[in-house]
Formats: sequence, structure tokens, C-alpha cells
Amino acid sequence: METDKLIQSLAADARPVRPLASPWTRTGLWLAIAIPYLALVVIVISPRSDLLTKLTEARFLIEQVAALTTGIAAAIAAFASTVPGYDRKVLLLPILPLAVWLGSLGEGCLSTVRQLGLAGLSLQPDWFCLPAIMLVGAMPAVAMVVMLRRGAPLFPYLSAGFGALAAAGLGNFGLRLFHPQDASLMVLVWQVGSVFILTMLGCCAGRTILNWRMLTASGHR
Amino acid sequence: MQAAQNGDSQAYVHLLKKIRPRLQQMVRGRRRFLDAADIDDVVQDILVSLHAVRATYDPRRPFMPWLMAIARNRLADTGRRHARQHAHEVQVDELPITICEDEANRVDSYGDPEALHRAIKILPPGQREAVEMLKLREMSLKEAASVSGASTGALKVSVHRAMATLRKVLDKGAGRGD
Repeated sequence: METDKLIQSLAADARPVRPLASPWTRTGLWLAIAIPYLALVVIVISPRSDLLTKLTEARFLIEQVAALTTGIAAAIAAFASTVPGYDRKVLLLPILPLAVWLGSLGEGCLSTVRQLGLAGLSLQPDWFCLPAIMLVGAMPAVAMVVMLRRGAPLFPYLSAGFGALAAAGLGNFGLRLFHPQDASLMVLVWQVGSVFILTMLGCCAGRTILNWRMLTASGHR
Repeated sequence: MQAAQNGDSQAYVHLLKKIRPRLQQMVRGRRRFLDAADIDDVVQDILVSLHAVRATYDPRRPFMPWLMAIARNRLADTGRRHARQHAHEVQVDELPITICEDEANRVDSYGDPEALHRAIKILPPGQREAVEMLKLREMSLKEAASVSGASTGALKVSVHRAMATLRKVLDKGAGRGD
């Protein structure tokens, strides 16, 4: 088609559109969907019996705040990555909370070794974590995909990876409210390991979930 | 762009026409190996992409970085697609003969450019125009279609008929000369 004709056709199709809100505002909207769902899942499964005690422990609080902040920062990065021309420094945002989260768990492992020796670092199978994180993160993940698809698929793998990290981070935050597993090595391997696997799966699905072909093939949006 | 987001199609046409040469210039500068038709294809691709994600433009932010981010992204995709296509191409200096009959492998050699020139002049106007654009000026079908206003299908038919007429006329002329 001749470019002039294409321009006329695009203009003829130019229905009014509402500009997308900023990545920060969109993250707020996403949390407004994700947090009530998370609370519902925790209530239905029933919170752990020692939750009130755990909420007074500094390590538990640091790890929970870091997991939640990682999820929120990853959501901001995911939304920012779909806005053309947006400052790419925002993509580094999840690094700090992720470092605090991993650092706290790493420090927990070291302090166990100091107290009990290497024998203290026992690792038992806990296959509950992955499906539980998927359950808690399911609705946030669906909301994330729907919201990301309204943006531009500039970096599909990166956007989907950040989106998956956001949902899985929130899922892990919810999991620890009902799953009494606090040994740092167990949390690191089974919980953070699950978050890592889900993030990688999200990355791999990036091109399927977000692509230009899908946006442009169905005519003009 | 803000007016376009509000559904003002006149403003949208004005904007797209204004950015078109800048996009062409950018694509030409970064993809020197592309011919004019391919450059137009990439520009069209960018315009369609811009249209699809026009809601991502924030009126409080500058327009050009937004546009260029889309353009660079689509250009990178084009580069990858081009590389993929060319990875499957095999360059050969001479096509091998695949059919034994002499007629099939005969290369037309009409050595008289004046005779060819005269033969083209007596073609019907539509056929003459098609030959001039596609064979002499080596324009692509798309370019020729946009210049002449004819469809690519009509141009193909015209050039096919013109070539048949030219072959007949030149063969006759060669026969007289022998």
C-alpha cells in the first residue's frame, strides 16, 4: 500500500484513546487487584498459627518487606518497559530490594552455620512452595499480562520476566503468611528457587504474550 | 499527538505526514542496504506500530523520544528479519542449465539498442510506461504502482504483453537483417 494511503487509513481509524497512566500509577492499580486476591487466598487457606509472633521478628519482617518491594519494583519496571522513550534506569529498580531479600536469606544461612555448624543446613524436599506461589500469584499474573498488553512490546522477554517476578514476588510474600517454613536455606532454595523458575518461565513466554504482530495484524487498534 | 489521541484525524494526518520524511531519513541512514521500496515498507511498519500503541504516549512527555524508541525497535526487528531471509539465500554467479532444449536456454541478444528504442516507442502508452518504469528505470512494482496509479497486477500484465510485443518486433527486425 502506498504510504499516503496508509496514513489516510490510519487517520480514518483513529478513534479517541485514553493515554496510559504512568508506570507508578499502573502499579498502584495492579496492586489494587492483586492485594485483595492475595488476602482472600491467605484467609481461605488460613494464616499460620504463629503469624502474630512472626510479625515481631526483625528477620521475618525484613524478608517479607523485601519480597513485597521486589514484586512492586518489578511491576514498575515491567510497566515502564512497555512505554516507548521511558527512562531505562527504572529497569534497575528491583535490584536493591532483591539484593536485600537474598542478602537477608544468605545472612540467615551463615548465622545457622555459626550456631549449629554445617549440619544445621539441612535441606528437606518441600514441593508445596511452587504450586502455592503459583496459586497466590495467579490473579496478579493474569492482571499483569492484561495490563502489559496495553503497552508497546519493545522488550517482550524483559517485560514478561519483570511481570513474572512481580507476580511471583507477591506470591512468595503471601505464601509465608500461611506456610510455616522459615529456615533460611529452605526459603532460599524452595521459595526463592520457585520465584526464579517462574520468572524464567515468564521470560520464555515473552514473545508469545507480547508481540507487534498481535497488535498490528488485527488491523489498527 | 495529543489531538490525535483525542480522535482529531486531521491533526493525525498532519502529524504522520510530518514525521514520515524524518522516519525515511532515519531508516535510510541506518539501513543503507535497503532499497527505496524496502525503506517505505519499514516506514509503513513504524507508522502502523505507532498507531497501535498511540495510547502509550504521555502528553506531558516529549514526542520525539517516544517516536524514535518505536522506530528503533521496529528497525531492529526489520534487521533481524532481513538477516534471517538472507541467511537462506545462496549467491550464484551463473544459473545452471536445467532444461536440455536449446530454445529454453537461448539468451535473447538484441544487439541493436536503436531498434529496441524504436520498438518501445511504438508500444501502446500503458505498456510503454510499464516497460520504462520496471525495465529501464528498474523501479519496483510497488513504486511503479504508486507513481502510475495502476495496480501491481495491471502493471505485471502490461509489462508481460509489452515484452511479448517487443520480442516479436525485434525478431522480425533481426530476420530482415539476416
